[in-house]
Amino acid sequence: MSDVLDRFDAAPRATLTALAAHLIPAAHGMPSAGDVIDDRRLRFVLEARPDLLEPLRTALGTGLPEDPAARLAVLERDEPDAHAALLLVVVGAYYTDKVVRERLRYPGQEAKVLQSWKYPVYLEEGLLDGVQARGAIWRDPTTGRTAMEARPAPAAPAERRA
Amino acid sequence: MATEPADVLIVGAGASGGVVARRLAEAGFRVVCLEQGDWHDKAEYRGPELDWELTMRKQWSTSPNVRGLAQDYPIDETDAEISPLMYSAVGGSMLIFAGAWPRMLPSDFRVRSLDGIADDWPLDYQELRPYYERTDREFGVSGMGGDPAYPAGGEDPPLPPLPIGAGGLKVARAHARLGWHWWPEPNSILSVPYDGRRPCVQRGTCQQGCNEGAKASTDLTHWPKAIAAGARLVTGARVRRLETDKAGLVTGATWLDREGLEHFEPARVVVLAANAIGTPRLLLLSASPAHRDGLANSSGLVGRRLMMHPFANVGGLFDEDLESWQGQFGCSIESFQFYETDERRGFLRGAKWGLAPTFGPINAALPSRAGTQVWGPDHHLHVRSHLGRGANWGLFGEDLPDPANQVALSSTLTDTSGIPAPEIHYKVSDNSRRLLDFHIEMASQSLKEAGAHTVEVDRLMRYSGWHLLGTARMGDDPTTSVLDRWNRAHDVPNLYVVDGSCFVTSAGVNPTSSIVSLALRAADHLVQTRANQQVPA
Repeated sequence: MSDVLDRFDAAPRATLTALAAHLIPAAHGMPSAGDVIDDRRLRFVLEARPDLLEPLRTALGTGLPEDPAARLAVLERDEPDAHAALLLVVVGAYYTDKVVRERLRYPGQEAKVLQSWKYPVYLEEGLLDGVQARGAIWRDPTTGRTAMEARPAPAAPAERRA
Repeated sequence: MATEPADVLIVGAGASGGVVARRLAEAGFRVVCLEQGDWHDKAEYRGPELDWELTMRKQWSTSPNVRGLAQDYPIDETDAEISPLMYSAVGGSMLIFAGAWPRMLPSDFRVRSLDGIADDWPLDYQELRPYYERTDREFGVSGMGGDPAYPAGGEDPPLPPLPIGAGGLKVARAHARLGWHWWPEPNSILSVPYDGRRPCVQRGTCQQGCNEGAKASTDLTHWPKAIAAGARLVTGARVRRLETDKAGLVTGATWLDREGLEHFEPARVVVLAANAIGTPRLLLLSASPAHRDGLANSSGLVGRRLMMHPFANVGGLFDEDLESWQGQFGCSIESFQFYETDERRGFLRGAKWGLAPTFGPINAALPSRAGTQVWGPDHHLHVRSHLGRGANWGLFGEDLPDPANQVALSSTLTDTSGIPAPEIHYKVSDNSRRLLDFHIEMASQSLKEAGAHTVEVDRLMRYSGWHLLGTARMGDDPTTSVLDRWNRAHDVPNLYVVDGSCFVTSAGVNPTSSIVSLALRAADHLVQTRANQQVPA
């Protein structure tokens, strides 16, 4: 089975590292994307999104400025699809790295147990009382005006818990 | 190949198709459904996986043009300001919808009478209310009764409301101070175990499929029951056209299987449930010498009056960590404060607001929908300020019907079976633009009152055509409507349309609750009038 990274030799790989470090440098306690994006991370992104391979190759190709800022500007202007693919590959590889996520305190999309038996804070604080006290806000088609409706008074928290 | 005609042939196994199939099969009808997509297993959804934010932009995109799957059909949207979104599968677009489940309001059914524009519906809120209550039970809706945005009385949602989260609480407190309406959003997402399904785990990935089965979709809620009652569901079946006899009745559907082999499925009654793009496409594809402008189109309105709810996103950023990547991607809270018409605002009708979660770090890092992108050392500050610290008001503005906004057949683009693709012509009206401008200003005020230090606005999102409505409208007059008040085609007495095509006006709310309630009402009518139903000889 072929490795998706076989399509990249040393030159485009070095270009990617330079572009990644330019976009996301080491700062504010976070590592550089140039250091984080190794073969494992790049392979992960391209296996999840094989459609990014060709536009990424375009973004890393020859005939474009070597300077990262200049290359990004040319890509954004002339090759917007390749530019967008490059950004997504860099960001996708960086933010799926374990260390990066730990430093961001982002654990991923977790499954949590709903505590449906808990009394909602918004009821405890009476945040719906005013809404109910102001009464109906729907427009009555028979009159064209806001409906006049008797509504029960908001229940006290103790009554609600009962 | 079927030889004995089905009592009812349904095209499309999504929200409305599932509701009608279950109701009719349980009433003893011989039901067959043709669905171009397939079944999905909950384990296929990427929410818990590391690649979630990567695959949501391609394989699990809400746009068929982005996904480009074989079961999708492409849409020519060159002349459209909003891209239509949908999913072809058993369960249909419910697999990727958010799950918000508000009802239309009484005024939504009387727009012409109240505001002198658009049209009135041939039914009203009170007539639809029992169907709202039944579908709430069938799908398992979580919410809180007593919302003064709606008439009092009737059944409360069957399940307790979902949590509103830290962001929802901040905004609820702000609305309490402002004296503005807010309410916990009703969602077709389970807050407790129900009907053999597990409750929500707040993963926040609802729009890429629910791994728990907590979010309702008819592949979970209706099709197993319909099949147990005898319905036959054929997947990978792409309908090419409906056939008619000399009497003008529909006799069944010609369809292609995955290998491209053609079949004919005969039926006594045909029900279209293929959404407001797919249904008019099929009616137009069914043109014949007797129906030169397409089937059921003597009014000339098939495909016209497309409504898609122009949508704006107003996001507030807060200093505190709200863990806003979690929570149901239905909505946590809603507001109808500015829903009803107030002509002093400079536009007619209004919008419902729904507060939603904010995705993960890849979304925070990439250029935002509001156009913000930060690279270099400050990129890290940008991501930290966005990740988990946001609350987004989604604003659905009422989209008024315009005959120029339409679905036609492309003369150049086809699907993988060579069938002409739909071509969309859609412009956002001046009324919608003024409406969104006002609501953006008010939603910004809401978030600032809640403590947001920054408010970012995406004024008119292109990929926001979740709500496809109006392309075969109901009405009592056959010259100005395609369907009668029971969703039956005026021109073809054994043809029904039960998806969002039937909408007369769009209202300003998420429409799935109304679509399935109207579909259930139509199915009830089919059952009740069974003995008098005209069928092919």
